[in-house]
Amino acid sequence: MQFLNTRAGILFEVSQRLFVQTRVLGLRIAYSSVLQWRHALGRYRYMVCNRDYLNESELPRIQSKLAIIAVLALLAAIAIGPLAVRSQTVGTLEPRFGQTLVKLHQSETAGATSSEVAELVALLNKALELDGEAVKLNAPDQTQKRADLRAQVDQMLTTVENRAAELTVVASQRSYTNKVLTYVGGAIAAVLGTIAYVSIVAFYQKYRVKRTFQMRVTRK
Amino acid sequence: MSFISSQDRRTLIVIFITLLIVCQMVAYVATTPRPREQFFQLYVLGAKHMAADYYPNNDTDIRLREPVTWYLGVTDNMGSVQLVSIRVKIGNQTIKPPDDQEALESPAPVVTQFMRFIQDNETWETPFAWSISDAVSSGNGTHILTLQINNETYQIQDCSASSGRNFRIIFELWTWQTDANAFEFGWTAGGEHRVAWLQVWFNMTSPRLA
Repeated sequence: MQFLNTRAGILFEVSQRLFVQTRVLGLRIAYSSVLQWRHALGRYRYMVCNRDYLNESELPRIQSKLAIIAVLALLAAIAIGPLAVRSQTVGTLEPRFGQTLVKLHQSETAGATSSEVAELVALLNKALELDGEAVKLNAPDQTQKRADLRAQVDQMLTTVENRAAELTVVASQRSYTNKVLTYVGGAIAAVLGTIAYVSIVAFYQKYRVKRTFQMRVTRK
Repeated sequence: MSFISSQDRRTLIVIFITLLIVCQMVAYVATTPRPREQFFQLYVLGAKHMAADYYPNNDTDIRLREPVTWYLGVTDNMGSVQLVSIRVKIGNQTIKPPDDQEALESPAPVVTQFMRFIQDNETWETPFAWSISDAVSSGNGTHILTLQINNETYQIQDCSASSGRNFRIIFELWTWQTDANAFEFGWTAGGEHRVAWLQVWFNMTSPRLA
C-alpha cells in the first residue's frame, strides 16, 4: 500500500477513476440515445396507425451527432472490457517489473525463442527475490543495505530491459528473414513443380511416340 | 517462332499459378502462429507430491507447532511470460470464498504471497511448509494468532472458529496486468475474465488456554 501514497500511486488512482467514469458516461449516452430511438419509433408507429400519410416534419428524426457519439461511446465501452474486474496494486512491487514484462512480451511477439527468454526470466526472478529481501529489511540500521539491494534490483531490471530490446531487434529480423525465405521457398517450389510437370508431360509424350513406333502391325 | 504452342503456354501458366497459390498458402500456414486456449493451472499437492496426504497422519486436526508440508504449483499456458502471485489467505467457515462468477477475491486476510515470473508452458512449484505457531482458546472460539510459513512467522488478525473447527487456507492466483499496471485476481483471455483458487480445510482443537 506504500505505492498508493506516492505521486505515481495518486496518478494511477486518478486515472483508474477517470477510466471508470468515462465508461459509465459512455454507457449513459448510449442508453439515452436508445431511449430517444424508442421514443421516435413510438411516435412513428402512432402516426402510421392513425393516419394514411406523414408530413415531412413528422418523420422520425434522430439527432445525427448524438447518434454518432452514442455509437462511438458504445463501441468504446464494449472494447474496454468487463467492468467487474477489480485491480489491486501491490505496495512493495515496483511498477518497473511491469515495464520490464512489457519489454519481454515485445521480444516474444517479435519471435524470441523460449531459451532466449529463459535467461531474462531467470534474471527477473533473481531481481524479485532481492526485492523481497529488501522489503524485509525494516530496521533503521538496515537502510543502507536496503538501498543497496534496491539499486541492485534496479540495475538487473535495466540489464533485462536492454537485453530484451536487443533481443526484439534480433528476433524480429530473424522472423522477417524466415518469413521471406518461406514465401520465396514457396515460389521456388511452384517453379520446380511446373518444371516437373513439363518434364513428366514431355517424357510421357516421348514414351508414347516410342511405343507407337514399336508397335507391330499384324494381319487379322 | 515459338517451340511451345499457345495452348500449352496457357496450361503451363495455369499450373504455375495454381502451384504458386498452394505453396504460398502452405507458407502462410507455416509462418502464422495458431490461436490456442490461454489459461493457468493452479494446484496444491500433499507432502508426497500427490493429491493426497495433506495432513500429518491423515488427521485434519492440526496441533500447535505441528509441521504440515504442501506443494503449490502454477502452470502458464498463456503463450507468453507472466508475472504471477499466489496469495495465501486464512479464513473460517463463515468467511466468503472467492467468487468465480464476479471474479472477486475472498475478503479473508492475506497472510503472505509468492511471486514469480513464469515462461510459457512452464510449471513453477514451491514448497509450502507451515505450522500454527500460536493459537489461543477464548470462550467458545479458537483464535489463530501466528502462522509459520517457510520458516517465517506471520501475525494473523481476526481469525477464529467455533471450537476450532473448519479453518481454511485459501490460495488465490493473481496475475500482473500490463495494461492496468497492477495485479488482478485471475486473468483475462479471449475477452473473458477467469479465476483460479483453491482451499484446504483444517481444524485446530488443541490451542493453548488464554
